[in-house]
Amino acid sequence: MTTSLETPQTMQDGQWGVHYALEPGQTQYHELCHTRVWATLLEQEWQIRYQRMPEDDDQERWLQRVTDTLPDAELGVQRFVRPDDGCQLHYLPAMSSLATVIRPYQPLTIPAASECTIYVGTLLWMRIQAGSKGTHLMELPLADPSLTWVGRTTMEGELCYSAATFARLVLDAVPKRPWRAITPVRIINERPEPLLLERFNLPTPLLSLHRNEKGHLWTPGVTVICETDMNSARLRVDHDLIAAAGRCELVAPAREQTARGGLVRAYDRIFG
Amino acid sequence: MIEQFESSLMQFFGAVAWSKWISTLFLLVLGIVLASFAARGISRFMEDRASRHHTVMVRRLVFYLVLAIFFFAALREAGFSLDVVLGAAGILTVAIGFASQTSASNMISGLFLLVEKPFEIGNFIEVEGTIGEVVSIDMLSVKLRTPDNLYVRIPNETLIKTRVVNRSRFPIRRMDLTVGIAYAEDVARVENLLLDLARQSSVSLEEPKAFVLVTGFGPSSIDMQFSFWLPSDRVLQGRSQMMVAVKKMLDEEGIEIPFPHTSIYAGSHSEPFRVELLRPETETNKGDPDAYQNG
Repeated sequence: MTTSLETPQTMQDGQWGVHYALEPGQTQYHELCHTRVWATLLEQEWQIRYQRMPEDDDQERWLQRVTDTLPDAELGVQRFVRPDDGCQLHYLPAMSSLATVIRPYQPLTIPAASECTIYVGTLLWMRIQAGSKGTHLMELPLADPSLTWVGRTTMEGELCYSAATFARLVLDAVPKRPWRAITPVRIINERPEPLLLERFNLPTPLLSLHRNEKGHLWTPGVTVICETDMNSARLRVDHDLIAAAGRCELVAPAREQTARGGLVRAYDRIFG
Repeated sequence: MIEQFESSLMQFFGAVAWSKWISTLFLLVLGIVLASFAARGISRFMEDRASRHHTVMVRRLVFYLVLAIFFFAALREAGFSLDVVLGAAGILTVAIGFASQTSASNMISGLFLLVEKPFEIGNFIEVEGTIGEVVSIDMLSVKLRTPDNLYVRIPNETLIKTRVVNRSRFPIRRMDLTVGIAYAEDVARVENLLLDLARQSSVSLEEPKAFVLVTGFGPSSIDMQFSFWLPSDRVLQGRSQMMVAVKKMLDEEGIEIPFPHTSIYAGSHSEPFRVELLRPETETNKGDPDAYQNG
């Protein structure tokens, strides 16, 4: 296991969408989430290396530093021919390409004919772009995502990512990390009986990413309306961000577009 | 004599309606060219819109359809009556059917395979112990490419008659690993450790949940079945990763994986085995023949 010789004091905060400039022979080293990333510029090529960190190492900041030393030769490397003479490098966040099943650590009951808004933080993918044109080099998840199956049977359904959440109802209690996007999920229970929320399917590919002035990432809110059956709830992705997000700028558009004119649509197996 | 032959040859060639035969030939060539273009065009159109299986099927259908139209047009041009040709074709089919029953059977089996669709091009199937990716489904046979890159041809008739396992029909699969632990170990503890392993592993799906069963008391070990689900396209990699992780976990936890061994037990009524303790030889005496004589 390669360990970092850097200390947080000698490193600076990394940011999404900022153009970093490297000289040939230099390496930019990052520590964020459960991942270390090394981006090296050589005369004719870019080299990207990454490594997972232990999961118990709970970081709060995204640290980065440019060094003149080459990374450890034991690390697996991915090489890319330089698309142009530009020395710029920048990083963009992206939501997952598969839907994400959110599973509260403790199930939450929503009483009959009532609603609540829970705040969910989801894992991001890092898109690495290089050169003056910002050519896409690669994309990597910032932690190993776990997979799960959502479907009525093992024959019909879809593969999704799975994420555990505290399903916080108070926004201030949600930890803000540069590698997590916050999605407000409003769940409306119109049924005459309580709704036990054990898990639900968040359509992350339909969500765009926005950054506010504090550097926090937000997605538009999602409204889930459960009228009769738990398996036939309707889902709507809002156009705008919630007011609490503050002034935001678009960082990355959604991977997939919602059906035209279909803001509200039946979404099979929302509650698993 | 030669003059006579020349004159009869001239008469014969003079009698042949060359223009008719040339236009027949032209129609046939045109048919082949147009059928190829049409098949290629439809294939390109369907490439992004349909599966490989359907694309190949429609491409072939279009090719033969266009070719058949031009073939019949050419026959008509040559002066054959279509009714006679069809009648002759019927008789010919019966004759061929009797002559080549196997081929006919394979062709009919091929039709059934197309209708029943037990697998598609690109699927991994298992037939009579052969596992491979379906490369093509043809009139007489199905071609497979095995993981060790062999080209295997399986007659359609065999596929209709025998058991075919389609390994890539569903997106997820269950993997059953057999884990044997020593009789002295705590089964419940091992069970929990294995389930933890499935939870932490990135290849094992969270749902459907992994489970552990005790399947038997073997001659040397307690046999357990560790079952977990994983995506169909990551079966080999997932199985290997999980087996390595199980071995590492059992080693770290000090849990013994026994290998087959035999214990000899004399029973309560028999005399105990005679055990003789030998003094270890000293290093100086080892290998010295005189040491034995002197001692």
